[in-house]
Amino acid sequence: MKRATWTPVDAARFDPGHGERALAYAAPDGAFSLYNDYRSGSSFLVRPAIAEGPESLAARWRTADLADGPRPLGPTDGVEGYGVFTFPYGPITLGVPESGRFDLRTYGERILSASVVGGFKRRRILAGLAGLPVDEAGLRVERIAGNFAAAHVSAFLAAAESARGDPVPIGELWVRAVAQEIQRAYNHLHVIARIAEAAAQNVGLAQAHALAEELLRLQGRLFGHRWAFGALLHGGPPRRLDRDDRRQLPARLSTLSARFEELWSLFLGSRTFIDRIQDTVALSRERVVAAGGVGPTLRACGVPWDDRLRVPSVPYTDLFVDLPQESGGDALARVLVRADEVRSSFSLLEQLLDRWPKRPGESLAPDEPIAPGRGLGRVEAPSGDLVYDVTVADDRIVRVGARTPAEANFPIFGEGLRDAVFTDFHFAFESFGLVFAEVDR
Amino acid sequence: MSLTPDGAVLSAAVVVLLAGAPLALVRRRAGYLATFVGAGLLVVASILALASGPVVGLSWVGPFGDPEGLRLDALSAFFALAASLVWLGTSAYSLAYDLGPDPTLAVCYALTLGAIAVLIAASSWVLFLIAWEAMTLASYGMILQAVGRPDKIFSASFVFLAFGEASSLFALVAVAGLAVGTGTFLETPYAATGLLSTMIFATALIGFGLKMGVAPFHMSEWLPIAHSSAPSNASAVLSATLTLAGAYGLFRVLALLGPAPLWWGAVVLGIGAVSVLLGALFASVSEHTKGLPAYSTIENNGLILVALGVALMAGAEGLPELYAFALFAAFYQAIAHALAKTALFLTAGYVEHTTGTFDLGAVQGGFKGRDRAAFAGTVAATLSLAAAPPLAGFVSEWMILESLFQSYRFSPEWAQFVGLLAGAAVALAAGLIVVAMVKYLGFSLLWNPAARAERDGSRLLGGSIAAVAAVVLGLGVAAPWILRALAPVVSGFAGTPIAAPVGSLLSVPSGWSILSGSPFGILSPPVVPIALAIGAAVAWGYLRLGRAPTRRVAPWMSGTPAGRPGETYTSFGYSTGLRIMMGSVLRTREVRAQTPDGTTAQFATTIPYSVDLEVLDVFKLFYDELVRLGRAISDGLKAGLMPGRLGQYLAYILVVTLAVVIVTAWVG
Amino acid sequence: MSPASSWLEAAARRGILTSRYPARPAAQEEIPLTGRPPRPVGGSVGTPEAVAACPVGALAADGIDEGRCIRCARCLATGFEFRGPVETARLRRDDLVVPYAAPARPEDAAAPLVGLKRSLHIFLVDVGSCNACNLEVLALANPFYDATRLGLFFTNSPRHADVLLVVGVPTEAMVDPLRRAYEAMPSPKAVLAVGVCPISGGVFRGSAGLRSALSDVLPVDAFVPGCPPTPLQVLDGLLKLVGRSRPREAVPT
Repeated sequence: MKRATWTPVDAARFDPGHGERALAYAAPDGAFSLYNDYRSGSSFLVRPAIAEGPESLAARWRTADLADGPRPLGPTDGVEGYGVFTFPYGPITLGVPESGRFDLRTYGERILSASVVGGFKRRRILAGLAGLPVDEAGLRVERIAGNFAAAHVSAFLAAAESARGDPVPIGELWVRAVAQEIQRAYNHLHVIARIAEAAAQNVGLAQAHALAEELLRLQGRLFGHRWAFGALLHGGPPRRLDRDDRRQLPARLSTLSARFEELWSLFLGSRTFIDRIQDTVALSRERVVAAGGVGPTLRACGVPWDDRLRVPSVPYTDLFVDLPQESGGDALARVLVRADEVRSSFSLLEQLLDRWPKRPGESLAPDEPIAPGRGLGRVEAPSGDLVYDVTVADDRIVRVGARTPAEANFPIFGEGLRDAVFTDFHFAFESFGLVFAEVDR
Repeated sequence: MSLTPDGAVLSAAVVVLLAGAPLALVRRRAGYLATFVGAGLLVVASILALASGPVVGLSWVGPFGDPEGLRLDALSAFFALAASLVWLGTSAYSLAYDLGPDPTLAVCYALTLGAIAVLIAASSWVLFLIAWEAMTLASYGMILQAVGRPDKIFSASFVFLAFGEASSLFALVAVAGLAVGTGTFLETPYAATGLLSTMIFATALIGFGLKMGVAPFHMSEWLPIAHSSAPSNASAVLSATLTLAGAYGLFRVLALLGPAPLWWGAVVLGIGAVSVLLGALFASVSEHTKGLPAYSTIENNGLILVALGVALMAGAEGLPELYAFALFAAFYQAIAHALAKTALFLTAGYVEHTTGTFDLGAVQGGFKGRDRAAFAGTVAATLSLAAAPPLAGFVSEWMILESLFQSYRFSPEWAQFVGLLAGAAVALAAGLIVVAMVKYLGFSLLWNPAARAERDGSRLLGGSIAAVAAVVLGLGVAAPWILRALAPVVSGFAGTPIAAPVGSLLSVPSGWSILSGSPFGILSPPVVPIALAIGAAVAWGYLRLGRAPTRRVAPWMSGTPAGRPGETYTSFGYSTGLRIMMGSVLRTREVRAQTPDGTTAQFATTIPYSVDLEVLDVFKLFYDELVRLGRAISDGLKAGLMPGRLGQYLAYILVVTLAVVIVTAWVG
Repeated sequence: MSPASSWLEAAARRGILTSRYPARPAAQEEIPLTGRPPRPVGGSVGTPEAVAACPVGALAADGIDEGRCIRCARCLATGFEFRGPVETARLRRDDLVVPYAAPARPEDAAAPLVGLKRSLHIFLVDVGSCNACNLEVLALANPFYDATRLGLFFTNSPRHADVLLVVGVPTEAMVDPLRRAYEAMPSPKAVLAVGVCPISGGVFRGSAGLRSALSDVLPVDAFVPGCPPTPLQVLDGLLKLVGRSRPREAVPT
């Protein structure tokens, strides 16, 4: 069985400006870059990395790992005018649950330009992984962004396994997929709940939150930890995924799925809810592609890219993965994509349980390493394409590089806020599903 | 010609005021001192007139054979009192403020004051008109004394002069009508109805309305003040007393015309309501420390007209109680506004003196804490204009709203409807003006950051502001007694004796409450400050006697350090919500310009650019069009009639001579 | 059953989801396996293998420092089990070091905000968390836990707050904003550290550029260990601040 695929290409023969190509990852040492081609739906591994200017995405992502303290995540606009002042929103606010600041230039009601300042939660996790054994490093990778733990760990382990040439039991790959799909569902439900809160739909908020809580409790029962910390690593808490447990799961999942359908149809019928997110921060396809946007933000602009389809690995190679897209590019489109993905996650969970491998202990060879001791892992996290680049020597980590979806989407958010109104801020922010913890790793 | 002692005081007042002009040429201080003394004498004279009957001053034989001169009857005495109280404040202020070398301002100031005194005290229309014209020219001279861009100043003062002359023109026509009706140029009643009295009413309303700065002529009020940076004592005189002169003219004509038909009151009410709303709206989005009070003047003069309109309508409908109450409201509003507005303009001058700017956005607490008297005076003045108890503005606003509430008593439905709409407009404007005054007060005085005042104001500056504001407070607290004192004024206007609408309420002593109709509404102004004082004392005692320590911390700004420059709300931002909401009335639009040396990044434009949100007055567009049309016509006439050809001119002379011969032969 | 046609109907059908904690003990589905701290099976001694297996050094031979345990389950292979009590919050840092054998020391520290028993306002600050603790705290607002029934409310300004609830490992950049938030709070006030990150640095203990303990920055009044603690454990910590918490359940050793 094959695992993740990409097409290696020589840098001299690759034209990044041809068609709809976007940079997905640029290695910090310049050894290679990863490009997505949205026209052909394929991914290119370009060696060596194509030199890009100081203002490029690659340069900005490189400096992300070096910068210290608060720094702007994206270009800033200089707007002047009579009565224009800066409204610093953050780093500690109730509306944005994490620590990050938004410097909004305004003359009153309208946001003339926005500069997102991150780095307040900078923990230098990736740099601290050097010298650790892979499993212990995995404990830290999980805690980069706890609500995306399954995605980060899956990508990290795929990269490490590829770097070491370790075969992995196929049952593990199934378990990782189960964790990722449950995680996708509750993250999207959190997004919907927070938008409902901003739109004062309090019953909807309560019901969406309750459904997310039920998914967390389900994960807690299956993996022994509500957020699946340690569950995908060696020596983690005992799981409850043997045959008897798996027999009872589909019924539970279909109850939750039916609840979601009911909840979502009520949301769609709520004029207030739709009104607040319709036409809020509408982005054009060109800008999102050029800016390297990923995830539901990209799919809401009509670009059909999902790593589970375009760069599929086991088990997604054998499953039917739905690809919801919208073309509006506004907050409504992003939320619609997320709702469809929740539905699709429930369907994938059903398929995963249905096609559970008969011999889960059977080993599978990992991907080809990019270079001796260096592997790449790619996963579709709930907020988009996540890339891990791991170099291993003697069973210990030498260096880890990563490009998280928040890193790609934050500048787009900052730019999209231009000419928005203050009251639209939370709708816009929640619809992007941005997490400062991923940028401040 | 013999003068009574009262008359001597009156005449001396006028003479001293006028004498301020030549004195100012010698020494500016002497001129201002003269106006101060003259204003004081005028106060005395008007109080005497209110207390013991009309005062007759100097008199002589006029050009048309009528005896004319200076006299103060009840109506004139009221306006003279209001104006001279204002002048006391502004003259004291000018003694400290006008430090420039050029005496022209002082000369024109004295001439303006003298002219206004003469026109209020005039017993004949001829003297009135002469004084009216002198007032216009003298105040034009004051406005020219400004700092700033010369072309802007010239056009702003030219606008003032143009509107002033238009006002004189209409006033002249109205006087002519009265003269035709009564046969004399003395200010005598003319009680007939018909086309002539309608014409008199219309031209008087337009002419004096132009001077009062009500819609649709409000541009004459805000443009010269906001755009010419006229010095503050000039602005105070313009806003407070010129408009009082206009109000006096209108009131005098209406008093002489006798009982008014219903539609006259409705027209006055309508014009007043529109002015109130427009003035309040523009005030709340203004950023100019003098433009904002100028718009507020438009609103307040509109309130005077609203009260007057309700009174006229009530008189036509045979509702004597409402008639009396509304008239009391009108007069009370006039004096309350004049004094509060004066204090506010003097504050603007103080701010400009200490911080050097007229831009509210740049003041930002510039003179906070420097002078407690100025501080207290400004707070009292802005709160009075925002109709906060226990100040005079609160009482007058209450009285006006109460009279509007009672418009249901009118019998025709259309009259009730007009009253309803006017009431809604006044209520909306009351809310908007609170926004404007809070913005003014907050961003000039109460702003937190380090005080940036460059110079201290002198004690005289602060003291005069506080004194005027104290009078405003006194007017508010002692309102029932002030209304009693105004009873002769209202009786003089109505022609019949009218008692003040004061009475009693429950356990409040009799005579301490104002009644707005029986039964309708009741208010006791002296009780309000007593209740406030008791409440404040209790709270103070509780805080002092309790032992909770006070800890001062920086303001919370989401964890960002507070008070960094450029990161605090601007006064512009405070009213942007209104600019956007009322965008169709204010014609709000955003103007973007790209500033030079912008760079473009890969996907987002890091182009520095400037954004400005602008509002404009639609009426100004109308006047600009009128001016353009006038210019076009005159250019056309010039090109057509005066081509400079000798033959054509000779032909004109011939034609005109023939025409005159024929006409005189015909008539003869 | 056909789907509900209105919010009211949908909510009515779901019924009452709210937990009965603290009136009743925590139900089984409310606490996952790793929600309870680890204890050695059978014997009362931690073996050297266990002490070496713990990646954060929480295990000692005679006791466990619950303020360090990240619930990674590495010690399970060396004779430990997750069977400690649910209520792990303590008012003193020292009380988080629990000996295996002896029963837990009774809580004798006075609850700092006893006077605010019926109405406690909480200001949440995330200094450097991975979001798991953040979301567990915010989960107190969902219908399953509903903290408002106990008089616990979240505020959006420290000026209205009684409790500063801190999650995450303190980063250098957040020290100043955190201090500003603390100063802006009126007395009486308390600081609650939720999760092992502010207590001991969690899995990042000793990393460069991070403070390993919140108590280096602010005076901390209560500690809720866990990685992340479940919402009911956070609730227990808040209730301890006002003296309304459920007594710590006795667990057979």
